[in-house]
Amino acid sequence: MRKGGHSNAYQREERKEKEKGVRLHEIRIGYFEARNKRKSNQSDADPAAFFAHILPVDPLLACSTVNWSDLLMCQKSQTSSYLQSALSKLLVGWVALWQGGCLVFASEFSPEQIEFFESKVRPVLVENCLDCHTGTKARVGLELNHRQGWLRGSDYRKVINEQEPAESIILHAIRHTGKHDAPRMPEDSEPIAEDQAADIEAWIKMGLPWPEEQLTEKPDDPFQHWSFQPVNPPSLPEEFTGNAIDYFVEKRQSAAGVKRAPRADRYTLLRRLTLDLTGLPPSWKEMKAFQEDDASDQEALLAAIDRLLKSPHYGERWARHWMDVARYSDTKGYEAGGRDRRFVYSYTYRDWLIRAFQDDIPFDQFLLYQLAAEQLVKGDSPDKHHLAAMGFISLSKNGKTELVIDDRLDTTFRGMMGLTVSCARCHDHKFDPVSTKEYYGIYGVFANSMQKAEPLIRDPEPGPKLEEYRKKKGELEKKVTDFINSKVTEMAKQKPELAKKRPELVKEVERNFRGKIRSLRTAVDKFVADQGMEGDRALIVKDLPKARPQHVYIRGNPARRGEVAPSQFLQAALPGKTPVPFESGSGRLEMAKAIASADNPLTARVIVNRIWMWHFGEGIVRTVSDFGTQGEKPDHPELLEYLADWFVENGWSVKKLHRLILQSETWAQQAANPSGDGFLPIDPENRLLWKFPRKRLDLEQLRDGMLAVTGELDRKLYGRTEKILEAPYSLRRSVYGFIDRQNLNPVFRTFDFSNPQETTGKRPDTTIPMQALFTLNSEFSRKRAQYLAVNTAVNEDRIASLHRAVFARPPSDEDRQLAESFLSSYHSEWNRDGKRQTNSEWSYGYGNISEGGAVSFTAFPHWEKDRWQISAEYPLKDDPRSYLRAEASGNTHPGNTDKESVIYQWQAPTDMTIRISGMLRRDAVGKGNGLRAKIHSEAGGIVGEFDLTEKSRSISCGVDSLVVKKNELVHFVLEPKNNTAFDSANWAPLIARLDKPGEQWSFREDFSGPADLMDSWQAYAQALLNSNRFLFID
Amino acid sequence: MNRRDFLNRCGMGMGSLGLSPFLSEIMQAGERRQLNPLSPGKTHFGAKAKRVIHIFANGGPSQVDSFDYKPALEKWHGKNLPGEHLKTERKTGTAMQSPFAFQQHGQSGLWISDLFPKVAEMADDLCVINSMHANVPNHEPSLMLMNTGAERVSLVRPSMGSWVTYGLGTENENLPGFVALCPGGVPIVETQNWRSAFLPGAYQGTHIDTKNSEVRKLIPDLRNPKMTRNLQRQQLDLIQQMNRMDVDDNDPGVEARIHSLELAYRMQIEASDAFDVEREPESVQELYGKTLHGRQMLIARRLVERGVRFVQVWHGAGQPWDSHEQIEKNHGKLAQEADQPIGALLKDLKMRGLLEDTLVVWGGEFGRTPTVELPTPGANSPNTALGRDHNHHGFTMWMAGGGVKGGITHGTTDEFGFRAEEDRMHVHDLHATILHLLGFDHELLTYRYAGRDFRLTDVHGEVRHQLIA
Repeated sequence: MRKGGHSNAYQREERKEKEKGVRLHEIRIGYFEARNKRKSNQSDADPAAFFAHILPVDPLLACSTVNWSDLLMCQKSQTSSYLQSALSKLLVGWVALWQGGCLVFASEFSPEQIEFFESKVRPVLVENCLDCHTGTKARVGLELNHRQGWLRGSDYRKVINEQEPAESIILHAIRHTGKHDAPRMPEDSEPIAEDQAADIEAWIKMGLPWPEEQLTEKPDDPFQHWSFQPVNPPSLPEEFTGNAIDYFVEKRQSAAGVKRAPRADRYTLLRRLTLDLTGLPPSWKEMKAFQEDDASDQEALLAAIDRLLKSPHYGERWARHWMDVARYSDTKGYEAGGRDRRFVYSYTYRDWLIRAFQDDIPFDQFLLYQLAAEQLVKGDSPDKHHLAAMGFISLSKNGKTELVIDDRLDTTFRGMMGLTVSCARCHDHKFDPVSTKEYYGIYGVFANSMQKAEPLIRDPEPGPKLEEYRKKKGELEKKVTDFINSKVTEMAKQKPELAKKRPELVKEVERNFRGKIRSLRTAVDKFVADQGMEGDRALIVKDLPKARPQHVYIRGNPARRGEVAPSQFLQAALPGKTPVPFESGSGRLEMAKAIASADNPLTARVIVNRIWMWHFGEGIVRTVSDFGTQGEKPDHPELLEYLADWFVENGWSVKKLHRLILQSETWAQQAANPSGDGFLPIDPENRLLWKFPRKRLDLEQLRDGMLAVTGELDRKLYGRTEKILEAPYSLRRSVYGFIDRQNLNPVFRTFDFSNPQETTGKRPDTTIPMQALFTLNSEFSRKRAQYLAVNTAVNEDRIASLHRAVFARPPSDEDRQLAESFLSSYHSEWNRDGKRQTNSEWSYGYGNISEGGAVSFTAFPHWEKDRWQISAEYPLKDDPRSYLRAEASGNTHPGNTDKESVIYQWQAPTDMTIRISGMLRRDAVGKGNGLRAKIHSEAGGIVGEFDLTEKSRSISCGVDSLVVKKNELVHFVLEPKNNTAFDSANWAPLIARLDKPGEQWSFREDFSGPADLMDSWQAYAQALLNSNRFLFID
Repeated sequence: MNRRDFLNRCGMGMGSLGLSPFLSEIMQAGERRQLNPLSPGKTHFGAKAKRVIHIFANGGPSQVDSFDYKPALEKWHGKNLPGEHLKTERKTGTAMQSPFAFQQHGQSGLWISDLFPKVAEMADDLCVINSMHANVPNHEPSLMLMNTGAERVSLVRPSMGSWVTYGLGTENENLPGFVALCPGGVPIVETQNWRSAFLPGAYQGTHIDTKNSEVRKLIPDLRNPKMTRNLQRQQLDLIQQMNRMDVDDNDPGVEARIHSLELAYRMQIEASDAFDVEREPESVQELYGKTLHGRQMLIARRLVERGVRFVQVWHGAGQPWDSHEQIEKNHGKLAQEADQPIGALLKDLKMRGLLEDTLVVWGGEFGRTPTVELPTPGANSPNTALGRDHNHHGFTMWMAGGGVKGGITHGTTDEFGFRAEEDRMHVHDLHATILHLLGFDHELLTYRYAGRDFRLTDVHGEVRHQLIA
């Protein structure tokens, strides 16, 4: 639609800028198309033939895209003949064009023609067309802001008639002739002046002269991007005998003038190794054995590596890494209308992953199973458990079909090949050589695999419980059928014409009682998910019985179909080959084989890079899920090539790759380099690995580590998920935790857990105070400290036992000194004369201020229903103290006479100056005789007195400044004025420290029940769990 | 180093933590933000607004009953509107005049209905946008559009609050940067409304269920109930002494963790303070009203006053403003809950000089039809009467403060208030304008993820300079 306003100079300038950007984009896309054509039609890569092929389409493109390097790289003797042939074909092309008498697409236009365009045509376009027909947002895909766009036309048809320019659709459109179904443009507006239209016609006849600017930028050929080339491993010097990783890393280091840090000590290495491979910290026993091992450092380490690789906990740790990539979740995502969101059998995929890593299934096989297990394994064979691998596809996010497919496709290609194919859903990929047609080719593979199934892979445990379960489930299912049947009967009476057509009746009933039927079905789903009594089932997809051809969806819109896109593999991942259409079913197995192929330039590189990242914190390519042209380049290109090749040569064995990496000196170096200050300016990001990257424990290492060092960890393997961050806290490893895609417990993301909505390459690495709040305050953390303190207490040396448990080593002398001084000062504060009533500085009770000015205070003896009171009975009958109480809100009530005033007592934890504030309130205005509040300090006597009369609702009770000594008592006394009627009141004082702003004591927040403070040993144990020594790996 | 020196150094942040001089030089702002993602960010140009309160009348408040006065509806009441009805979620019938009377308010003479008498008192500060429009008449996609700029529920996009916090960091590290207040549960589409998606978790909205009036239950893990502050300070000192002992180089990650422990300690005090509205003078509490909505609006003010960057205040769980029936009764009750607190917020912010750089945004995910909703079997209650259906073709939102013009309306709907006509403003345009007020070019506030740069407005959005003072 045409805009009313006129653009000012600034906007015009801005638009020009945008056009420039779009032009660049457009050139790239045109280029890819040209390249594709060249690849498919000219597999022998004859540059001259390519020339001739492109020439009629666009000679400019042909000239600008010919790969001159191909020519130059040819043998010299051939070069001249190539050129000769190219030029002669060029000439033939030109002649053909001239002779045909049709449009001339010259590579150069005369300055007059360009001037004509700039003065007569461009202003008309800017004024009338470009608001809607610019760049990727252009209406109907028709981009009129660059010459390519005019030539391409809209998503539906060409707008320029090259044979008869005067009959071009676009001319009919701007003249509102209505011929050839041409729309009337600009929309909702008068046609442009005829002389302007005539100018445009003349301009079209000239061959659309457009200034040179648009083709001055020649992009690099994305097919030449490093990651699309076959893996090209460098060779090691013959005399080299060490670890190849060190060779390549040192090579780059010495070139840059940095040097690896010294080898870390055995303590550090075992801790790092155990956390790396199993996600758990080493025990004191393991540590001692390792440190006392007589073997050489290398041999002892290798033995430890082998021991840990055999541990079942290795599988748990590394399965979780892959679960990040596979956007694992136990729920489907958002579902309206209270439907149950859980995948009942998601855990079978997780368990399969754990076993796959434990068994070291070759990684190519590992990928094949996840994409096409149902075509590799027979349902009744002993291998049927491999079917669970297809959770990789099935555990996708719910939503519209095209987005489910896109999610599966994206997870597959970003996860396995580091390629962001999804960009090509709406338009050819802007940066990487993936066309929309190719995207829909792959899309077709998934679209033809949408048949779901849940084959049984392990029978349920037989027994009476199962019988009971089946019975109840049957009852619930019967409710659904009974309801439908009853409604069908009813409706058959109402609509006799349908009486004999049961299926239609059922349909009608389903439609009319959608809500009710859904809720009955949800009850069944919920029961099944809650009970967890079924056997194990694999969540798989199958090919549709007959594969349907897949069309391109124009701009990603399924309602706008374009040409058929053949299902075949991506050209970019087939260097030196031509894609051939898949033949069998959906083509999924063929696609899987092409991904898991040693010839695929991406797959091996991507996984060795991920494994590297899971060891070092950063990948060799830091954008681990984007190996395209927009991703980073490898920091150690030779090393990556070497590892990718080595990995395939070694049977795609992940465990072998671990051994190679973990035995390198690069991995074994310290996290601090003594020469670090000198290296930092050279390589501030440590890309050259002159020190081992220091890592914080991730969420799973932290939680599992805490449970492991206290000895509480439940080491049971496999099975259904459990909630791990909500009470009652499961003691199982975090990998078994329930992951809710839609409403993930915020603690997960606070600790940078992966986002279960989409495939995650690298988790963020942030340090925020909310993390510390969890480790300092949460019930989870407190319980661990408590358990540790209670159970590690042996009569001998408690400090040493705690250190051995938490850090797997004895305390140093300095540790001991710190511990002892902490324990004694904490204990004396904690004990405070052994008289502590509550967990805070506050106590609650009753009494009065005597004539002499002293306060007599009796603490409330009873805690019931979150409040302090006189006895279990409330109000206490026939007692002047009957209504006395204190509660967190500040709601309170004094006794009958001033002798039974309510008293809040606060003890100053240290010398300070305070300000007291707070309101005394009552609701029963006009009734009773009101109340009186007094604030009293030991040194100052009554420092404030406030009378709340029966007529008023509230009074401010404050003391502007009061000096108190350590342990001095301040009392807040609320007197009934000897008449207790209508004395329900609210008083919640606030004490703020004047000499140290920010520190304050609030009655409300500090309110607490009977004292059960963490004692000094618990506090000490918790401190150890909160130390960097525990929370960091190194 | 004695204990005091040590604590001072911890408390004063990373700059003073003995980083070697060239490390601080080399560590550019960007890297510092990676370690502490909430440290203040830089805007592209001068900002008019420093923080946002987004009052979300979720469910879809009716524009023709509130801020979009359509006298024509009185004439057409009970009659079919000319031409075909625009498509909305369900079938609607004849025109229905508003049961609420409209009056002009303030110097500006803005037309506001009796639903919002207290808000109307602030008419001269309101910038009413009558020409809002969205894409579809359904709650889920429209909520997603309003909050994330992408309407597909299954698309993974960060919320506006997350973008703003990502761009601006926070002015107060002792509080979360982005807070979502919603009483009694969560809106539909749930926590997705304030999640950070592919942005780091530090930018996710912290949901507070304001139905809970006990401050210490509002934020989980805000304090250790089994320790006094003194005891915890002792414990923290011990942890920091151990951390100091173990430092063997100037690792920024380790320093950041030492720093964040101190922040956490202060957050315990400051956060509970921020959420305790009882600390306000009686007169202020009464201005807002001692109700659930009064309390949560007052919390919102206390939060922005303390430097929280983005506060979203939801009317309630589910979709409370979704009055498919009995608009008079239902909207009447909802407005009665919301009007005084919102009016008080505007007044209070203004009095404190905070309105100048605090942008207040009010509205739903869409509006409602000027026509009456017809009963639809299986969809709504058969006794649907005098209600209105969803309407994304045209609806009203207003902004106040934060550098917008007061006392103006922007754009119009058609004669009946059905479809936005003049100066149509899409949700993307609203986002672009909000980011502009905060000092960002919406096309440049991007995040690289999955091989491309993402932004709140995707490929859309146009800043409406006409609204900016």
